[in-house]
Amino acid sequence: MSSNMLLRVQDLVNNPTPRVAICLCLDTSGSMGVVEGDCVETGETIYDDGKTWNLVTGGTSRIDELMSGVEQFYDAIREDEMAVYSAEICVVTFNDRATCVMDFANIERQEDFPELIATGDTAMGEGVNLALDLLEKRKQEYKDKGVDYYQPWLVLMTDGEPNGSPGELARAIQRTTDMVNNKKLTVFPIGIGDESDMSTLNSFSPKRPALKLKGLKFREFFVWLSQSVSRVSQSTPGETVKLDIEGIKGWAEL
Amino acid sequence: MWNTIQCAVQGRGHIKTETPCQDKTYALFKNDIYAIALADGAGSAKMSHYGAEYVTKQICEVLTDDFDMYYAEEDGSAIKRKIVNDLIDGLQKIAINYGCDIKELASTLLVAAVKDDKYILIHIGDGVIGYLKDDEIKIASHPENGEFVNTTVFVTSRDVLHTMKIIKGKLGNIHGFALMSDGTETSFYNKKDKLLAPALKKLMKLSQIMEVSCLERETMKSFENIIKNNTTDDCSIILLVEEDYSFHGYNLLPRKEKEIMLGYSNALLSKKRMQRFGEILNFLVFPNTLFSVSRKIYLKKKYTMKYIDVLLEQNLIVKNKEIYQTAVIMEK
Repeated sequence: MSSNMLLRVQDLVNNPTPRVAICLCLDTSGSMGVVEGDCVETGETIYDDGKTWNLVTGGTSRIDELMSGVEQFYDAIREDEMAVYSAEICVVTFNDRATCVMDFANIERQEDFPELIATGDTAMGEGVNLALDLLEKRKQEYKDKGVDYYQPWLVLMTDGEPNGSPGELARAIQRTTDMVNNKKLTVFPIGIGDESDMSTLNSFSPKRPALKLKGLKFREFFVWLSQSVSRVSQSTPGETVKLDIEGIKGWAEL
Repeated sequence: MWNTIQCAVQGRGHIKTETPCQDKTYALFKNDIYAIALADGAGSAKMSHYGAEYVTKQICEVLTDDFDMYYAEEDGSAIKRKIVNDLIDGLQKIAINYGCDIKELASTLLVAAVKDDKYILIHIGDGVIGYLKDDEIKIASHPENGEFVNTTVFVTSRDVLHTMKIIKGKLGNIHGFALMSDGTETSFYNKKDKLLAPALKKLMKLSQIMEVSCLERETMKSFENIIKNNTTDDCSIILLVEEDYSFHGYNLLPRKEKEIMLGYSNALLSKKRMQRFGEILNFLVFPNTLFSVSRKIYLKKKYTMKYIDVLLEQNLIVKNKEIYQTAVIMEK
């Protein structure tokens, strides 16, 4: 085709695709082991994440649903020709401490998603601070390599009240709100299940209220999120992306 | 005399969402002044294609009416204020007509105007302004994006005056200007090294030897088939290029220059072959098939095709389906 064209590929320049750095900051505390659906109590109890829990058999745990939702998120991005080249995802988990379980990579080059295990407390502040540090570092790498980039995304998903260091939590909230107010970050605080502390989550989001998933609708959430990534990667220089709040309403409570 | 070549194509992202092409170009020749403008409507603003259309037309009108006044005014910030205020006034009226907020008409703006030996350039937002000087492509104004690629400044932005660029000067050895939107930037502007692609010089040089309508048609074809595939955004370009007064058509070129044009500057080209190239070019002034060309020059099709390939490679002819046509001006 191009040989018949006035302009040919060798006459043009090849710029790298602008990137969207996304950090999934996921709660893997003990409460994420809560099982919903058909389940039977065993009569045993355990103490974890600041509460006493009844042990059950059957049902589906929140963490398993989270895992399957994450997989769908990756699948949805893979199917989107624009998002697949733009999105670079890293995953931070937090329980007793914060850990980067997957470093930034284009989805095509990323390793298999690790299995997440629900255990321990909810060190949310530490998790968010680590996520913000990693997003900053990634932005610097883009700058150093001359790669254009969009505002990074922080997706914070938790079902529990934070019980890590209060100082770290306050610092995380301050950093996040400053960045959002300065249009340097897009944040999605998501409360999962009935246990989620929406007031803490709201403090991470100065421009719009945190979202609460209706039950465990991870699949819908990830499908929607991947569509939103696509929208960012389609957006053009000159356009400040408007997040599709209408799209959220279908599956979450504002 | 200066020629203009312009083209704007709807991006793949906008085709998907059924959004109209928000890139607009406009050219005006009035009062012996040539003015070209390009505006990229904000993707987040629903009516931005109307805003882009208005600002391109209006700025060309303004500069062709009052070029001397703008050029003579030494106070650059006063000029910026005057231009922006004039555009905002007009956009306010359009916003009222459409019942929308003026922000819905947001767009970038790139402008070049030439009168006698003087030029004026204006740039708001992203996109690139390039120029041809001493046979080299240079950059007059780089994109204004801020930290993130999806943010820029629009005509309607509150801080527009802080980043708006106006440039004026004497043409000297400048023979062309090019305005490009950010979609075109993807293929024409190396963001890391801040250099323009060879394609731009090619287009500018071709505009000095090709019929403008043919060049525009072929440019559009390349944009639809190649440039557009490198981005999801709308892509547009507009060129203002001074005529090459020494070029009077292929037929009147000395042999050495014909060889250069045919891509044989370092290789030997026999008199016979040179003659055949000339015959084909003159024959294809009227569109025709390979078969007809082969009959015309009494040469088998497979050998004729080799001549055709050279002419296509050098952009001296164009091909549309199975029909060939001469693109270079043979005589003027």
